[in-house]
Amino acid sequence: MFGAFKPTNSLGGGLLWKIPWRLSKFQKARQRKRLRAVDTVVATLDKALAKKSITTKAVERWKEEMPVEQEMVPRDKYTIFDRKEKKYRKSIRKLPKWTRVSQRINPPGY
Amino acid sequence: MSSYFRITLQRSGIGLTKRTQGVLKALGLRHRMATVFYPVTPEVAGQIMKVKELVSVQEVAKPLSKEELKAERRPDPGFYLESAARR
Repeated sequence: MFGAFKPTNSLGGGLLWKIPWRLSKFQKARQRKRLRAVDTVVATLDKALAKKSITTKAVERWKEEMPVEQEMVPRDKYTIFDRKEKKYRKSIRKLPKWTRVSQRINPPGY
Repeated sequence: MSSYFRITLQRSGIGLTKRTQGVLKALGLRHRMATVFYPVTPEVAGQIMKVKELVSVQEVAKPLSKEELKAERRPDPGFYLESAARR
């Protein structure tokens, strides 16, 4: 309790919120579900436009650059690149509004 | 043949950028679970791409009226009225 290396607690103004680094299996399942929902929206748009033989830059670019959920590696689904972090990765939950923004690709090699 | 996008706002735009919230406003999506219909055009497709994380989209043959949308949500009453057989 006392000594040089005692942990700081909330009373001492220390760290109170302990956010787990990893997502739970349920959070990961919901994350995959959200990724697939976005894939469905893009697929629907693409199919509807293809019927009228229209191409849209936004849809084409997304299809070209972004992997679908099944093609992504788990590292990219649940973590993002951060240059300041140990091993250059942090949990995707650190991304502001992470359940409502798309974050699929990371720098190659990291 | 004309077809329409049926767009439903699933997730709120609160706290997102002005740009994203502006697209929702332009599409007429003011509340969650609000549904709007737009013809399939590149302009609308581009708008949907801006808010693709927040909406669900279907392609339908014709837009539904407000009354038809309400009738869709109405649950099954669980009974039906019998009419007297003709004698």
